[in-house]
Amino acid sequence: MSSINTNSSLFKEFIQNAVTSPSPKVQKNFMEVMGSIVQIFKKICEDEKLIIDLEYKGKDYWKKAKDFKSCFVDGGVYSNFLSSSAPFAIRAKSFIIKPNEFGKNREKFEDTVGYFGDLYDPNNNIYDLSEDPYEDNQLLTKKKDAARITFEMAAVVKHVFNKQNFKYCFLHGPLQTPIMPFSGPEFPLFKKNVVKTLVPFFKLNDENDLDRHFINIYLNSNKYIQKAKFPIYGIVERTGSTIYLRNILIRAVKKGVLAEHDYDKTVSLIKRYKINDGNLFELILKNSQALKPIEVEKQIPSKAWGDWQNAMDSFPKVFVGYVKTNKNQSPIRIESLNYPKKLIEDYEYILACSKLLPSYGFPVGLDIVDKAARIPSWLGRTAKGYYLKYYLKIALDGNDKNTITSALKSISHGGRSWQKRPKAGKVSK
Amino acid sequence: MSKENIIGKMTKLSSPWIDIGTILGQTSINEYMFYLKKFKAKKGDIVAAESKLPTGEGKVIDVIVWGRIMEIVSTNDFLPNEATKELTEENISIQDTILPLTKNDSICTVKNLGYTENLAGKKMELIPLNYPVSPGGAVKYPSSQDLSKLLNADMKGKNPIFIGNLVARKDVDVYVSADNMVSRHVLVIGMTGAGKSVWVRRAVRELMEKQYPILIFDPHGDNLGIVQKAKKLFPEHEIKLFYPKISAPKNNKEVIFTLIERLGNKLTEPQYEFLNWLLMNIEYETGTSLIDYIKILIQRSNSAAENKRNKSSNGLRGASHTGASTMGVVSRSLRKVEKKLTEMEQSNKSNMDKFPHLKFEELPDPYSQPEKIIAKSQVSILYLKGYESLPSSTIVSILLESLFNHRSVSSNVIPPFFTVLEEAQNFIPSKSEGQDGYPSVSTIKKIATEGRKFGVGLMLVSQRPYRLDETVCSQMNSYIILRLKNERDQNFVKKTMENWDNEEAKQLPNFANGQGIVSGQITNIPLTVQIKFDDDLTNDDIGDEDFINDVKNWKETYISKSKKLLSGKFDKIFKSDQRRPN
Repeated sequence: MSSINTNSSLFKEFIQNAVTSPSPKVQKNFMEVMGSIVQIFKKICEDEKLIIDLEYKGKDYWKKAKDFKSCFVDGGVYSNFLSSSAPFAIRAKSFIIKPNEFGKNREKFEDTVGYFGDLYDPNNNIYDLSEDPYEDNQLLTKKKDAARITFEMAAVVKHVFNKQNFKYCFLHGPLQTPIMPFSGPEFPLFKKNVVKTLVPFFKLNDENDLDRHFINIYLNSNKYIQKAKFPIYGIVERTGSTIYLRNILIRAVKKGVLAEHDYDKTVSLIKRYKINDGNLFELILKNSQALKPIEVEKQIPSKAWGDWQNAMDSFPKVFVGYVKTNKNQSPIRIESLNYPKKLIEDYEYILACSKLLPSYGFPVGLDIVDKAARIPSWLGRTAKGYYLKYYLKIALDGNDKNTITSALKSISHGGRSWQKRPKAGKVSK
Repeated sequence: MSKENIIGKMTKLSSPWIDIGTILGQTSINEYMFYLKKFKAKKGDIVAAESKLPTGEGKVIDVIVWGRIMEIVSTNDFLPNEATKELTEENISIQDTILPLTKNDSICTVKNLGYTENLAGKKMELIPLNYPVSPGGAVKYPSSQDLSKLLNADMKGKNPIFIGNLVARKDVDVYVSADNMVSRHVLVIGMTGAGKSVWVRRAVRELMEKQYPILIFDPHGDNLGIVQKAKKLFPEHEIKLFYPKISAPKNNKEVIFTLIERLGNKLTEPQYEFLNWLLMNIEYETGTSLIDYIKILIQRSNSAAENKRNKSSNGLRGASHTGASTMGVVSRSLRKVEKKLTEMEQSNKSNMDKFPHLKFEELPDPYSQPEKIIAKSQVSILYLKGYESLPSSTIVSILLESLFNHRSVSSNVIPPFFTVLEEAQNFIPSKSEGQDGYPSVSTIKKIATEGRKFGVGLMLVSQRPYRLDETVCSQMNSYIILRLKNERDQNFVKKTMENWDNEEAKQLPNFANGQGIVSGQITNIPLTVQIKFDDDLTNDDIGDEDFINDVKNWKETYISKSKKLLSGKFDKIFKSDQRRPN
């Protein structure tokens, strides 16, 4: 009540607006724009024959698909960046299943690749700190992201390298990520042994340090898995990407059915109205319909730092499609590095796997491996507690008041909590 | 020290104990939880956990903590609920899909039973736990031999009797203490078909082996099989089958008065006064049939009324102010009582006639001939079928009172004995059921309280425990609890038994025939037992109900055919009757 009292005039207006006509103009306008955009894109998709119908007959389908051996890959990360240390754990797990087998042969949860260390520690690190020219802590998040992307890809690489006889392999997430953010000159290299472990097919050139750079490792991994004997798909839910709709427009421009200036205006409009592949194709596709994959370019060399423009140019193109797996969810994005040889068959498998998670509408195998790979919060919290206690112990052992204060500040979850701390105790300011 | 070594060092195991799980992080003195290896144990199993305890001397000792698995919860975090919805609606077999089947996590809740210091010694005493088990410790599945050793430890001096096997482990035999059973009373409860008779036969058979005198009150003839079969199995034993003779001790006219009061018509104050006058003036000799005595009362009442009508005061001293009509009412009431008792006696007799091959004897006078009822190597069964609850209660009360007096006054007349009272709710009804006038209540209360001193043991058997007198039940030191579905009965069990928890109560409706909890002083620890079925002691004449076949083979008698025929003819006549007014 006191909160309402202090905001009484605003509250009154807000409620009045909400119950009478909540933002009538902008909402109506959004609906009109969205409706028009949907009509245009629906027509383009139909003209281009991009929409396909998939079939799903639950029991009959799984009777047939029980012989398929499939692999689902996802990664999990634990990081805790303190000023004293940056413990970091990462793993990529695989859930491999062939329903028709029994017992242990039926399913396997595999720690395909994993690492635990400290991003500050030169001896226990995946990055080569001797080659880290800036030693800038701000890069910790980027280092973490690059490691995650590399490890997930490495799990797929490992399956290809080991010549697994999968019917399908799925990665939770995009199969190719824009690597522009990692192209800056300060980004460190992976250690040699890490490269050897993660990408065993890769022949390192000792004289070329940049061979161990994330972009190079990722590029080579992409090229390597592109040649896999089994289809590999990256699957993304809740997509906010505009890559498909933009590429449709580009195709239309190339065909001459859309003027370039109209393209620019449309792209600008899409940005302003926050229209993306997810909310647009949710309105266009019906349940169990899909959009055929189209070839897109994920890397934009012009945006990369100089040395890496060529590398970005040589990344395989990505084929992106969408499948609407249920009535209520946005379609999920399917990525592959080759155009699917058996498009309908493959997409129907993805649809069937998603039907087993009928509300979420996402392949259940990826949901399962997501749970298996995720490093649980209780483990993270406990680990953080130990790190902080150890830090404080060292500070107390040192008997230096300033160090102790600094350690206590770290424990107190940031500046505000520290300001509000109880003032009792013998530790001086 | 490794997990195996701790228990291995402390014990001389008859065979290795299997590691089945690890204790979770929070434990208490009463219970703990552990992560179970797949399919390595089940609900009801007794498991052992290694732990450490502080001693009074400041030392810490290694112990084995024993407990029973009360609950197992299995979860598969990798099997989304939504997926099961799809499987159900689409009729898909999970085996055909990519859903995982091997990721079940099972967490068990264990109720602690106590601890032992050593399995290797001769005596393996189970001591109440006073310190929680150590989190992270191994949980083991003890071998059958070692478990049997624990359950039956300390039984040697208590005359162990075999009752069956653990429900959860058929290879573990369970024994109970016969000494504690015959002296400290047992309550046996379970719904119809739960296995009460299975238990009674088991207990009776084992006590017969020990030549212990047994008296069974049998309102339904459930124990006639013992008579049929035990003669062959126990040729040296006396198996006596009695039918009751309703009589009372000479000085106990109160019992007679109650019986007349409850079975007869409701009387007014002057009518009661006259009834009392009759009882005071007509001698009752011990052993006389109560029906004969009532007949005398009726004669005397009639002649008094006659005299009154004739205005003669002959023989009416003390009742001269009573009117003839009052006397007539008392006579009518007495005739009603006589009729009822006679009918019950006849009903009892006709039931006996169904077993022509069995020899029924009239119950000897318990005052003058108790040795004919209670003797070493004798089983006496009093067949009460046909008698309503009040006369039955009277019969039980009179008999037990007399036998108990013989034991309490002089220990030489009859030996200690064990009494089995079937349908106990009819003899010790609870206060809410209205126990006024049931003479057996006070008698059984007395035996329940003092019987141990004089070697009079009770085994009360009932299918409706909530209808039993709570005071008597609280004196029962051991319990056999079989299947119970009625919520009020389950609540009674919770109220009456110490240390009873809800998890145990949940098992009650699910027990199979002959399965139940054996608890109290007859056993070291409460156990869920499958009682051994003595099929060689069952009654061939009273098998399972087979009414469908009875009807299939039903043949109408000559009388019923004739009755139908006549009835049909009369119907026609009635229909043609035109003189009947509309």
